[in-house]
Amino acid sequence: MKSWLGQHYREVWLVDFEYGSAPGELPEVRCMVARELFTGRLIRLWEDQLSVLPQPPFKIDRHSLFVAYLASAELGCFGVLGWSPPQRILDLYVEFKRLTSGRQVPAGRGLLGALAYFGIASIEAAEKDGMRELALRGGSYSGEEKVALLDYCQTDVDSLAKLLPAMESHIDLPRALLRGRYMVAVARMESAGVPIDLETFKQIQDHWDDIKLSVVRELDAGRGIYEGTSFRTQRFADYLHRAGIAWPLLESGKPALDDKTFKDMAAMHPHEIGPIRELRYALSSLRLNNLAVGSDGRNRCMLSPFMSRTGRNQPSNAKFIFGPAVWLRSLIKPDEGCAIAYIDYEQQEFALAAALSGDEAMMNAYRSGDPYLAFARQAGAVPPDATKQSHKSEREQFKVCALAVQYGMGAEALAVKLGVSKWRGRHLLELHRETYPRYWQWSDAVEARAVLTGKLTSTFGWQVHAVADANPRSLRNFPLQANGAEMLRLGCCLATERGIKVCAPVHDAVLVEAPSGEIDRVVAETQAVMTEASELVVPGFPLRTDYEVVRWPDRYRDPRGQTMWNCVMGVINKLGAYAGQECRGADMHPVGCTNANPVHSYILYE
Amino acid sequence: MSKVKNDKDAAQGTPGVINDSADQSGTPVQPDPFSNLEELRVSQDHLEAVGLKKQLITVPVRKPSKEWFVRVHPDPDYRLETAVVELKDEGEIYLVDKSLWPELACESTFHYKAFFTAISRPGNVPFLWPVRMPGEDGRLDSWNESATEIATSIATKEWTRCVSNRYLGAYEPQIASASESWGEPQWPDMPFNELLRLAFKNAFINTVDHPVLRRLRGEE
Repeated sequence: MKSWLGQHYREVWLVDFEYGSAPGELPEVRCMVARELFTGRLIRLWEDQLSVLPQPPFKIDRHSLFVAYLASAELGCFGVLGWSPPQRILDLYVEFKRLTSGRQVPAGRGLLGALAYFGIASIEAAEKDGMRELALRGGSYSGEEKVALLDYCQTDVDSLAKLLPAMESHIDLPRALLRGRYMVAVARMESAGVPIDLETFKQIQDHWDDIKLSVVRELDAGRGIYEGTSFRTQRFADYLHRAGIAWPLLESGKPALDDKTFKDMAAMHPHEIGPIRELRYALSSLRLNNLAVGSDGRNRCMLSPFMSRTGRNQPSNAKFIFGPAVWLRSLIKPDEGCAIAYIDYEQQEFALAAALSGDEAMMNAYRSGDPYLAFARQAGAVPPDATKQSHKSEREQFKVCALAVQYGMGAEALAVKLGVSKWRGRHLLELHRETYPRYWQWSDAVEARAVLTGKLTSTFGWQVHAVADANPRSLRNFPLQANGAEMLRLGCCLATERGIKVCAPVHDAVLVEAPSGEIDRVVAETQAVMTEASELVVPGFPLRTDYEVVRWPDRYRDPRGQTMWNCVMGVINKLGAYAGQECRGADMHPVGCTNANPVHSYILYE
Repeated sequence: MSKVKNDKDAAQGTPGVINDSADQSGTPVQPDPFSNLEELRVSQDHLEAVGLKKQLITVPVRKPSKEWFVRVHPDPDYRLETAVVELKDEGEIYLVDKSLWPELACESTFHYKAFFTAISRPGNVPFLWPVRMPGEDGRLDSWNESATEIATSIATKEWTRCVSNRYLGAYEPQIASASESWGEPQWPDMPFNELLRLAFKNAFINTVDHPVLRRLRGEE
């Protein structure tokens, strides 16, 4: 077979690895199979044969195309083997995801699902699961097992050989290669992982049941929402009444208790609701054992690149340290002699809305350095000499309004979010429309284009299909999210290729790591590549970045989870004192909660 | 992308290779897709792509809401002094052909009005603002006199609210403190005649047999 691929590449290598992967650990390579598409040349190698090779047993230069399904896994194995990554990568998982983004796919987006989508026969899912278990098992393998695993690995490669021609006409090659390039960055970030204070993590794990009970007592003191460790809705409603907090209600008249509502309300009432949200998640959903921390104290998990419809990464909430339990992020701690830095784009979505729509007033607001205060000034709501300090509450309202617009929020929802009247919510939205008319024309055109053409495409080709029941608000938001994702992907590519150790991408930010003495330089370099990436997406409109450095022995802190973290550390310290040891995790924190009562409610000891 | 360290000897004498048939095709080399990423950009100008343009098909004829700030088109070509039949109970206003004016001079619903092209904030809605003109006797009440003053002298330059003050017996202008930062209004891109046509497309009396006149005469 020689089609358009043959016009561009001398060799096309279809590659698959089998490997074991304990949570948080690097992959353990079992075997690899590779087949060259044009010649049929086949390579089957077991781990002991692979580990002696300084480089892959096939060409990986720019004349050769490397094809895989979810290539970050294969590239992770490259990293373990010490091989250089291929220069041209085509990831059929990513391209299948792009092809079907926004659509229902009957058999899922795994390799078998993609084969089924194109009507290509494959092995049974049960057989695949069985062989995966064999690969995960580890230990020594018999000759028969090795052959079985190699044969299974070859079935995936042979499947790629069938899938590639079927998908060929759907592949937008230059941009597909850019997405393949990102998979190298993903493999590097997955390999680096996030440094975790392993000792404190283990203490929390060991005492989790005791901690839960004590933390409920501490955080619920004065609120009276819990009965034991059970959340009581009526008690919560009573607390809201006593605290004078207006809360969204369900049609039944009961308070909405979903996490999104809690998240919104915690943002409005961080001291009253923030700790309750953390507590609820900790008690109901948090499975500490699922946090993927390796024996070397690194949080490693699949970053699930391109998983969301907008092309953003979507790692597991349970496995990734940057999941919803923000208090747990205080477990992030650089190794001795090292420092980490969290570097994020400032107001990325606002900036993208301004630059993509070409709304000059909005662009000027971003350039001012404080777009939300600038919006309030432009709308005439605050005087020209207003500052963040002099008009704090107005700025907050305009900030929430600006962000709400990008998600298509209506007046009523905005009013609830701000705790203001519906009239005020409507007025704020009107001010946005009046102040940024060009943005609104562009946003209207985004929705119209999606409806007319059936899809939307981002700057470097990620797309979403506008199916019949597509949510217009999601469609309008797509260019902001998808181009934000493009920007961060490019930033991750540039940073990792230039030798910066990126521990993880986090929505519109990256966490980088370096020796303490080098962190300032690394931060400057990372900021430079993030600016460069922003200008690739929106030429002539560089986005600013902000950063926060944490040096050993300090730990990362998220203010939203600080009360919960302090509370947990207070319990751990108390336990440690009884057991005659000190908790190192609490070394930076006072004992107990910031709002805790004296210690008479701590814990049940054996 | 990182430079590959060493791949020239790859695939030579490697264990596990079952079928080794080297490629001799001499395939042309594809240009480096990463050398200029800007060439890969897909336009995000959705406005241009869709060619979306709002079509103005409705022009209300009304006094400004007391909640609105308004601007009046400063170009005299965007005004008209004319005569109308105004049915207050129905909230309807009909433009009257000049040939009928003498005949309707004694009709109580017949008035001379000035129409100003105006635009509202919020909403950015263009509308025609009717203000009564002096009658045959040359007199004009203080309400319409103050409205005319606001429309011609103030709202042409500033975003202005027209607020009634019944103790004063006139409208008072309230200029938005943010008028300067709000900038100039986006006037519709069409001549006044077209605005007038949209405003009175179903409300033009050009014959004595017009149903409105027949009703006013008690003929139906």
